Amino acid sequence: MALRISHLTKRFGIFRAISGLTLRIEEGQFVSLFGPNGAGKTTLLKLVAGLLKPTSGTISLRFNGSGPERRHVGYVSHQSLLYPEMTGYENLFFYSRLYGVAHPRERSGRMLERMGLSGAGEQLVREYSRGMKQRLTLGRALLHEPRLLLLDEPYVGLDQQGNRLLTRILRSLKDGTHTVLLVTHNLAEGLELCDRVLIQHRGSLVYDRSSGGLGRREVEAAYLGAVEEDGTESRSE
Amino acid sequence: MSPTRRLLDGLGLIWTLAEKDLRIELRSRQAFYTTLFFSFLILMVFNFAFDAANQDMRKAAPGILPGILWVALIFPGVIQLNRSFQSEREDGTLLGILLSPMDRGLIFLGKFLANWIFLVAVNLVTLAIFMAVYNFPLTSSTPWMLLLILLASLGFSAVGTLFGAMVSSIRTREVLLPILLFPIVIPVILAAVNGSTEVLLAENFRFLFQWIKILVAFDVIFLAASYLVFEYVVEES
Repeated sequence: MALRISHLTKRFGIFRAISGLTLRIEEGQFVSLFGPNGAGKTTLLKLVAGLLKPTSGTISLRFNGSGPERRHVGYVSHQSLLYPEMTGYENLFFYSRLYGVAHPRERSGRMLERMGLSGAGEQLVREYSRGMKQRLTLGRALLHEPRLLLLDEPYVGLDQQGNRLLTRILRSLKDGTHTVLLVTHNLAEGLELCDRVLIQHRGSLVYDRSSGGLGRREVEAAYLGAVEEDGTESRSE
Repeated sequence: MSPTRRLLDGLGLIWTLAEKDLRIELRSRQAFYTTLFFSFLILMVFNFAFDAANQDMRKAAPGILPGILWVALIFPGVIQLNRSFQSEREDGTLLGILLSPMDRGLIFLGKFLANWIFLVAVNLVTLAIFMAVYNFPLTSSTPWMLLLILLASLGFSAVGTLFGAMVSSIRTREVLLPILLFPIVIPVILAAVNGSTEVLLAENFRFLFQWIKILVAFDVIFLAASYLVFEYVVEES
């Protein structure tokens, strides 16, 4: 078991972003999490990443052969988390040092190659295109070889080439040792890769199915059901 | 892991963070020139206002020159302290640092070290300008002045880094930081001005060591307290 969440609640003032959510993800699973805006998906990822503290409930991370340390978590957020005034290589080297990666220079160079950015390693990040930044962001998240990767809308702003590269990289992570929790609005991309589908709505999980034999229409119907319900309630308010 | 190894690793992480900030600043030198120009302007304005280089004026009001010097050394430092966390918040890079498994107190120490080195560099140039404009030659007591600058800027940076982090997510941070910071650092300013009066004008150093002791005590207390509370300051609610 990689991740276990029990009765998790997160409040911001009077707003309840996560409401009694319980979830268990096995090691090596690739899980896609869908949901309308404001469903609490990003909050859930931040809680798992340790960036937020739960109001109540517990989150435990455990991987085979390792302790429950947060150093095994990689996180890709809406923002790139990169320093625009540093080069691509300097960014990766800096984060390698923070994570205590062995041989940070070699590791940073290899990661640039893996992300197809070896030619742009000495270029300042502020000169990167959106797609290049997103690839470097993923490289940053993978630098320390995390066992659990949390991806928050990684496809946003990518062109077709960037999309293909990202999908290829994510597919390479389906090796049984990496656990991935992908948050996306894009059903096609989310369903293509995942073993399991979750839909979150108003801070709770309303749908949880294995993706084996699962049609896009079924997920679409469940997703739209949640969104429409949300819209109806919003209008009635 | 042995305590020595942990200490060395911690120091390495602190330097990694500080070196990153200094590298970015060295690349643009934006804050350095802005802060230095502000200090220069203060020295010039007071020079024209008080004719402070006049010997009679110095005898009549011996505390005025050290007062001018410390206004020029301390006030412009707020520019850097405001920028220190603001840029990390704007680029989202603070999240990147917080995601790493390093102790959050070390993040404070890294940011503090960068701010301290920055302020000492600006202060040394400001002191040189002060000595040229107000006609103070280098004497055997100049090293004492350098010690006062090191100690005062240390305490100022420690409190300023903590408060800079506190206000960095608030819209009115530019106004709020000096309002919060200056009342707290009054002991630093008092000790620095009085110590400098002895160094610059008086021949005997009767009370100098008392002022130095106050500065050392302030530095130790506020550096330790800031290190301990930093985790709660950067935590998202």
